[in-house]
Amino acid sequence: MIKDFTSIKKNISKETNSILKTKKTKVFDSLDDVLKTYKEEYKYSPLLRKVSKKFDILRVDSFKEKKKNIDKKILNQYKNQYSIITINGLFQKNESKIPNGISVNTFDKLNNTDKKFFHKFFNNQDDSKSDIFTSINTINYKESLLIKIDKNYSKKDHVNILNFIISNSGESINHIRKLIVSNQNSKSVFIEEFISLDSIENFSTSVTEIIQEENSEIEYLNIQNDKNNFHFNSINISQKQNSISNCFTFSYSGALVRNNLNVKLKEKNCYSNMYGFYALREKSHVDNHTTVDHIDENSISNEHYKGIMDNNSNGVFNGKIFVRRKAQKTNAFQSNNNILLSDEAKINTKPQLEIWADDVKCSHGCTVGQLDKEAIFYLQSRGISKEKAISMLLGAFSEEIIEKIENQFIKEKIKKITYKKLEYFTS
Amino acid sequence: MLEIKNLHVSVNNNKILKGLNLSVNKGEIHAIMGPNGSGKSTLASIIAGRKEYEVNQGSIIYSNKKLLELSADERAKQGIFLAFQYPIEIPGISTTNFIKTAVNKIRESKGKKPLDAVSFLKVMKEKMKIVKINQTLLSRSINEGFSGGEKKRNEIFQMAMLNPKLAILDETDSGLDIDALKIVAKGVNKLKSKNNATIIITHYQRLLNYIIPDYVHVLIDGKIVKSGDKNLAQELEKKGYDWIRA
Ligand SMILES: Nc1ncnc2c1ncn2[C@@H]1O[C@H](COP(=O)(O)OP(=O)(O)OP(=O)(O)O)[C@@H](O)[C@H]1O
Ligand SMILES: [Mg+2]
Repeated sequence: MIKDFTSIKKNISKETNSILKTKKTKVFDSLDDVLKTYKEEYKYSPLLRKVSKKFDILRVDSFKEKKKNIDKKILNQYKNQYSIITINGLFQKNESKIPNGISVNTFDKLNNTDKKFFHKFFNNQDDSKSDIFTSINTINYKESLLIKIDKNYSKKDHVNILNFIISNSGESINHIRKLIVSNQNSKSVFIEEFISLDSIENFSTSVTEIIQEENSEIEYLNIQNDKNNFHFNSINISQKQNSISNCFTFSYSGALVRNNLNVKLKEKNCYSNMYGFYALREKSHVDNHTTVDHIDENSISNEHYKGIMDNNSNGVFNGKIFVRRKAQKTNAFQSNNNILLSDEAKINTKPQLEIWADDVKCSHGCTVGQLDKEAIFYLQSRGISKEKAISMLLGAFSEEIIEKIENQFIKEKIKKITYKKLEYFTS
Repeated sequence: MLEIKNLHVSVNNNKILKGLNLSVNKGEIHAIMGPNGSGKSTLASIIAGRKEYEVNQGSIIYSNKKLLELSADERAKQGIFLAFQYPIEIPGISTTNFIKTAVNKIRESKGKKPLDAVSFLKVMKEKMKIVKINQTLLSRSINEGFSGGEKKRNEIFQMAMLNPKLAILDETDSGLDIDALKIVAKGVNKLKSKNNATIIITHYQRLLNYIIPDYVHVLIDGKIVKSGDKNLAQELEKKGYDWIRA
């Protein structure tokens, strides 16, 4: 494992913006402390050991952008849809299609007012103080994006965030970084994907900070479906009064994927929904660590993760709920349900509640089980093969999460992907 | 059509069927009666293809095939249908979708094209009328929150949709009101043809007033100990089982 981080200091010296330089230096200086939390936080997912063996994760990349092309066939799948496109963490303005009311720019291209705006939020909400990978991302990202959603924005259409990764150019490590600000009364839908364009093993980190102003609503979905990918994803949401966040994490594959989802309900009357579904086969390993922090009163958080694990796959769920003293009348719900389809598949699930307020409704629960044999027999007795019966039952299990997606187009898309995946599960 | 010979079946080392013989021909209706725990549902499950049982001895031939070698879904494709004594609830799968999948899988096995949405709906509407089951019930998850009677009716509806060659009704009449009982009887009678056969497992001779069986069998302690015609059912209703046991 890594003990000496000095090599990435070079990256900081290259930073030309003095405020960012100060922030990065601070992150760098606390790396040793952050590393101390690693052992506990990554108990079941040895990501650092795995990736530091395979990749030079402290490598300092050149900042020069090389021209890269994405197969038109792949982009055609997203034709006529709004998309924000990055390749190896670099924003592709010409390939992107951005709706009126949303602005997307890299930090370098921001005017002074927007730069100030950026500084106000950047790195303040993320988990760089507690997660080594967010720290590394903060120091090593090549380009950061600011996505600004105007006041009162309310287009129903979703916006894809497509992060393409091309490793055959020698870049098998990529750091993707963005800040999303959802202004007052806006309502928006994003669906983010990470897509490797070659079958070379790679490691990517993605850190997203989402700032929600009063009365804003955001639906943010994440699809992970990349067999060769070692991936670290950290989404950090900070909500003001009366705002709503709906987060979805769908994981179907991954060499080792770690998701941190951290939601801070900073003011009154916030609503946070956190949903996840994972369907893992072969040696896939997906770890979902979530934190919801109730800071002020009268907010609701509702979390439901469900997963299916087959073969030698591994799942981890860890859900933390904090209810601060001031957060009276909090409602916080959490549950995690799992189906294991093989004796070798594993799930580690753990709720963690810390409650300092007294007038609080809290519930949590987790289940681990197998498919109901009686149900399989019932379906079979009507002429449905065992394989089909299993995939129907697994589909039904996923339904509860997928049904929660508000955007109809995305709901259908996820359903399709999920059912296609589930066809391959048998036991 | 169905020929069961000297069937011995056990579960977790408990012997349940102990040398059962039964022969059912095309066009016949057989009633099986017998005390609780005598093995009636076990027999039905074995025919339908439940795998938890161990067949220690004996054979079942169905339409010239060794039935025990087929999986449950293959048996359904060959025309076997079991209306369950206790239909299970399956959340998350709509009844309509389930039946559509079943109908089309069975069609597929016969080399027929799947029914499209419109023709499926047409057939469904027709059968819904016979069974008097309503659309809202069918749009719900399989049996989820159905009343006891609704579950039974759903079984008969599925039977009507799948048009089996050999239908086994395991206490489908229990828990049904008189109207529903008549509907079930009507369904069975409508299905009856030269090529089909039905096995009705029941405790009450009531149902047999509406569906006239060709044979009545008494199953006690894992064996068929007496067979007769419909009058046997009436005799059982009056006298119970002790006179046979003795
Ligand atoms: N999985 C099992 N494990 C152990 N015993 C079983 C199992 N399944 C059935 N049995 C036993 O086998 C016997 C026969 O059960 P079965 O359900 O066939 O009876 P039945 O004739 O249908 O009774 P009823 O009239 O009450 O429906 C019972 O004693 C029952 O407890
Ligand atoms: Mg029974």
